Amino acid sequence: MEELIQTLKQQIIEVLNLEGMKPEDIDNDAPLFNEGLGLDSIDALELIVLMEKKYGIKLQDPKAAKDVFQSVRVMAEYIEQHRSK
Amino acid sequence: MRHWVILDETRGVVVDGERIGVEAQGMGMIDEIYRGYVGNYMKYFKMDSLCKVGFVASELLLAKESGSRDVEQRKCYGTAERAIVLFNESGSLYTDTRYQATISDEENYFPSPALFVYTLANIVTGEIAIRNKYYGETNFLVLPEKNSQAMAVQVSALFADKETQSAIVGWVECDAEEHFEVRMALVGRDDNIENDIKTLIEWKN
Repeated sequence: MEELIQTLKQQIIEVLNLEGMKPEDIDNDAPLFNEGLGLDSIDALELIVLMEKKYGIKLQDPKAAKDVFQSVRVMAEYIEQHRSK
Repeated sequence: MRHWVILDETRGVVVDGERIGVEAQGMGMIDEIYRGYVGNYMKYFKMDSLCKVGFVASELLLAKESGSRDVEQRKCYGTAERAIVLFNESGSLYTDTRYQATISDEENYFPSPALFVYTLANIVTGEIAIRNKYYGETNFLVLPEKNSQAMAVQVSALFADKETQSAIVGWVECDAEEHFEVRMALVGRDDNIENDIKTLIEWKN
C-alpha cells in the first residue's frame, strides 16, 4: 500500500502540474480539495482520467468520485480494491 | 500608450523600450520571467502556452504601471473601469491540436479536461481579468494578420462604454510550443488608439 501511495502522489503531481511540490509534501490523509492541496473541479476531472488511464477504474458517479478523492490514502485503498491494470 | 511589453522567442523581453535580461529561450524564457518577476500564482503552471505568454506579459505591464508585483497594490485592481481586448491569428489552434491528440486514438482515448478548458483563445483574457479582478469588457478576436486599423476599431468600441477608462490591448500569439509573440499595451480613453497600436505592432529593436 505504501508503494502505491508514493506512486500515486508522483502521478498526481505530474498530471496536475503541481510545480515545486514533492511526494513528501503531500500528507497521506490530508484532504485533496479545499483546505488541502487546494485542487479545483478541473483537477477532479483530471484525477478521474488518471484513475481510468493508469488503473482501469471508471468513476462515473460524481458522488463516488468525491468520496474516493478524500485523500491520497483513500484513493490508494480504492485503487487496490478496484484496479483492472 | 501608457506602457507596453514585447515578448517573443527571438526578440526577448522588452518593457517600455527597456530590455529585460533572460537566459532561457522559448517557453523556458516565459517560465524564467514568471519565477523572476511574478511568482506565487500556482495556476500559472496549469495554463496552456497561449495563456502563459499573455499572462506573463500582462504581469510585466501592470507591474510597470504600479511599480509593484503585489497584485492587490496595483492601480485599477478590482475595477470595472478596465477592459481587455486581445488578438491573434491562430486562436487556440495549438492547444486544440494537443487536445485532439488525446482523443484521436480509440485504443488510447483519454480526453484531457485540463487541455480542453484552454481550447478557447479568450481564456487568456479571462485569466488576466480573474487575476486582477477586472469586471470590464473582455474580448479575444482572430485576425488574418496584425492590422492596426482593424484592431483600433475594436479597441475604440470598448470606450463607447462610458465606464471603461483604460484597456489592456494587443497581439498574443502562440502557434507552437516554442513560437510565440506578444505585443501588449495599456491604453487610456484619451489616447490616440490607432497610432498607439500601429507603433506597438511595428516596433522593431
